[in-house]
Amino acid sequence: MNGLNQLLKKLIRNGTGRKRFVMALLGLSVAMLLILAAVQIQADYNELLLSKSNQDSIANFLVLNRALTDQTIGATTLADSDINDLKKQPFVESVGTLTPSRFKASIQSNSDRFPFFTDIAFESVPDDFIDVTSKDWKWTETDAFVPIIAPNMFLDFYNFQFSFSQNLPQLTHSVVKMIVFKVNVYGPGGIISFNGRVVGFSDRVSSLLVPEEFMRWGNTHFGKNQDAKPSRVIIKTKDPGNPELAKYLQSKQLVTDTEKTRFSRYRQVVDIVVNISWLSGAVMLVFALLVFTLFIQLTIASSKEEIMLLITLGASPKQLRKFLMRQFFPVNLVIIIVALVIITILQFTIHNILKNQNIFIPALPSVYTFLTAFLVVTVIWWVNRATIGNYISSN
Amino acid sequence: MTITFRHLVPIPLKERFLQRSSGIWNTDTSFLPGEYIKIKAPSGTGKTTLVHTIYQLRNDYEGTVLFDDTPVRKLKGDELAAVRQQKISVIFQDLRLFANLTARENIELKRVLQEPYYPKEMIDTMAAELGITHILEQRAGVCSYGEQQRVAIIRALIQPFSWLIMDEPFSHLDNDNISKAASLIHRECAKRGAGLVITDLEHDSHFTYTKELNL
Repeated sequence: MNGLNQLLKKLIRNGTGRKRFVMALLGLSVAMLLILAAVQIQADYNELLLSKSNQDSIANFLVLNRALTDQTIGATTLADSDINDLKKQPFVESVGTLTPSRFKASIQSNSDRFPFFTDIAFESVPDDFIDVTSKDWKWTETDAFVPIIAPNMFLDFYNFQFSFSQNLPQLTHSVVKMIVFKVNVYGPGGIISFNGRVVGFSDRVSSLLVPEEFMRWGNTHFGKNQDAKPSRVIIKTKDPGNPELAKYLQSKQLVTDTEKTRFSRYRQVVDIVVNISWLSGAVMLVFALLVFTLFIQLTIASSKEEIMLLITLGASPKQLRKFLMRQFFPVNLVIIIVALVIITILQFTIHNILKNQNIFIPALPSVYTFLTAFLVVTVIWWVNRATIGNYISSN
Repeated sequence: MTITFRHLVPIPLKERFLQRSSGIWNTDTSFLPGEYIKIKAPSGTGKTTLVHTIYQLRNDYEGTVLFDDTPVRKLKGDELAAVRQQKISVIFQDLRLFANLTARENIELKRVLQEPYYPKEMIDTMAAELGITHILEQRAGVCSYGEQQRVAIIRALIQPFSWLIMDEPFSHLDNDNISKAASLIHRECAKRGAGLVITDLEHDSHFTYTKELNL
């Protein structure tokens, strides 16, 4: 069969359009690179968003409340339907309601050396949403001790502003955790006092947290409005930068810590870039395939007489198709392999550069990139085959 | 393989053929395996038309041509190619060589188009027998017509076949070369148990014919 191919090569020349051939190949190469790069960027991006090594634990919890505007003043409670709807969203893993204290309370220093007194309000949240582990984090009605979790922000505020203005000492976490103070709860029958102590600091919820049991007890016995609805919820999400989440919050007029969702802006920009890359790659692929197809047609047309005589002499359409495929298809494989090699080199280089900045992407291109390459090869194979098939049988 | 004709009439020549009697046109006849058939006819009576019809190069006829039980008309694409590679070999009146290939390449192409019937060396053996060894490496386009005719003969003989169809194959050969070619052709047909069909203007005795037909 080798001898036959050599003779056919002599008869069916593709020298007629060298320039066009090179152009078509160039177009195909660029298209291939763009498409594979788009897939790889998307894969890397997903990796950055979802992999453990890149995740920021704080960002996974968001506290939501209604945007407070002139219209919503006094009507910021969230209905059950709102919360159920939130639970149904794909980007929400779980929802916890924050229960505010509806009783009056204050805290007060036990020591004269370090006196303080302030009215205070608490909030409680299901234990699953708390990022502090402490063996003291529990309360029953018989306990005289109430554990409290304070926001880091409060202590920062004290240490870096308040202490300077009041000429007070700065306090570390461990010192604060040692201070026992009095927690007063005001009820119709007078004041009930507990011992209180900060058992941990949290970045998650910016309020003083008490165990849910204490809150339930306090609200049941001293609360004014028994079936009050919550105004704030905390959600757990895999991806606070998800643009869907940002869109949902906006449509429901909910607000959260924008610092945490700001990433969604960048995400949208990257999504657009990836889409443009996709689209231009796809358009280029279509054009390159078109030019390539024309090139095949041109070669067949310019060797029309030879092909006719070959068929007259008994060359089968199958033999000719096979020969033409062997003429045109392998160069596509070369292009794909070169494109994959370039992508691999780029990925490896970027991997090394980003590693120094503590951003981790895989050293090798993703499986999806290879799958895409395979898919594109299949498409090209099919287009080549169809073109050759059409033209051989029409001759 | 038996070639059967049933009321075959080429459409372009229909008017003329229906008015006179003929050994093939508008009648029923068969070429049986291994027969040597001479078709004698003056110019313009459809010799080449007949060859092209058998070889399925044209379809503009009424009636039927059968290869055994298969209507030739139904053969298409790869099936037809298989027949041309294995069953029927042809020498065209206009030879149909690739002008840009050498004489050897022209023959070699037909040799390797299917599973080769003969080894490569057979080309040299046959070329020597017909006296064209010296032009084997020349482009076919620059060979004389007589040389090209002999190249076409060898090309037809290098492949397997059960019928050899020849359309005035010796028109440009002298008597000496004709008898060399005829004996080579006879030998190759006998070897394969193949039949042959030869068309010519005049009566001849190149072969021992089993049937002579007038068109």
